[in-house]
Amino acid sequence: MDTSDQKNLERRVFTSFFQAGIIEAFTGIILLQLGVAALFSRSGFGDWESALLTLPIALILLIAVFLVRRFVVIPRLGRVKFLPERRRKLSKLILVPTLTLIAGAVVGYIFSENDSLRHIFVGLIPFSLVSIIVFSAAAYFLDMKRLYVYGAVVGLIFPLGKYLETVIVSRNTLPATILFTAFVFLGMATVFLVDFLRKYHEPEV
Amino acid sequence: MKELENQGKKQITDPLSEIINIDRLVHSPARLSILTYLSVVEEGDAVYLLNQTGLTWGNLSANVTRLQEAGYIEVVKEFKDKKPHTLLKLTDRGRKAFHDYQNKMRGLLDVQTD
Repeated sequence: MDTSDQKNLERRVFTSFFQAGIIEAFTGIILLQLGVAALFSRSGFGDWESALLTLPIALILLIAVFLVRRFVVIPRLGRVKFLPERRRKLSKLILVPTLTLIAGAVVGYIFSENDSLRHIFVGLIPFSLVSIIVFSAAAYFLDMKRLYVYGAVVGLIFPLGKYLETVIVSRNTLPATILFTAFVFLGMATVFLVDFLRKYHEPEV
Repeated sequence: MKELENQGKKQITDPLSEIINIDRLVHSPARLSILTYLSVVEEGDAVYLLNQTGLTWGNLSANVTRLQEAGYIEVVKEFKDKKPHTLLKLTDRGRKAFHDYQNKMRGLLDVQTD
């Protein structure tokens, strides 16, 4: 077994800890929050107001996902401390999306203060860019190629939703597009979790 | 001429003779599997090894004991959430033994393919 084989094995072991659909559930919940916020926003609430109103529900769901990981996934897969190289990659993974999201929020705030720029921000570019950067960073640092596809899908939601809005001419087309994608991700998470539970049982000591 | 013949013999026999010196403790499939999966992490628990190696509890436990006795792995038994938890870690000696084994086997296989 040479170094590349060992790296492949390490990657396989690491990615096996993400087979229970945790990433898909996480993505689905974020999209669900965005979709519901978009619905609120079109029902007369402000953009930031809608986001703040839906945030607690998203947080509760995210905590539920972490609890599933803590009490269902880890006891079945075992506890592992990865090598320092992997831990460094993970700390970078947290850093890149955090900086991107902060930059996105700052740009978003500046754009929302300016009426002519507001339309561009709320609609398209920054959301797609932030999604693609965050998912690409996650794909690179977690060594999981499927996350590039997730990034492309999430990045396409807003342009697609906006386009469909012009074709279908309905106020709720964009929220519906986001919610549809959210349920696809949540469906995938459920399938992965069920498959995981079938494959792995909590060992009896 | 005789010297050249001897040199030729030496080139073939020396790497192959390494098979005699192979570490039999590492050479067993179950223990090799345990060492391999411990070599790609800093530490892991028994459940991790059980899942990755596909060994049974009894088999894992017996082989872990042998590796522990040889000083190749360090075993820490503790209680986590009121449940017994066994943490395993490759020692420096174990890591060296594993790498030596890899190098010897690679050398042997290279001779075979040449």
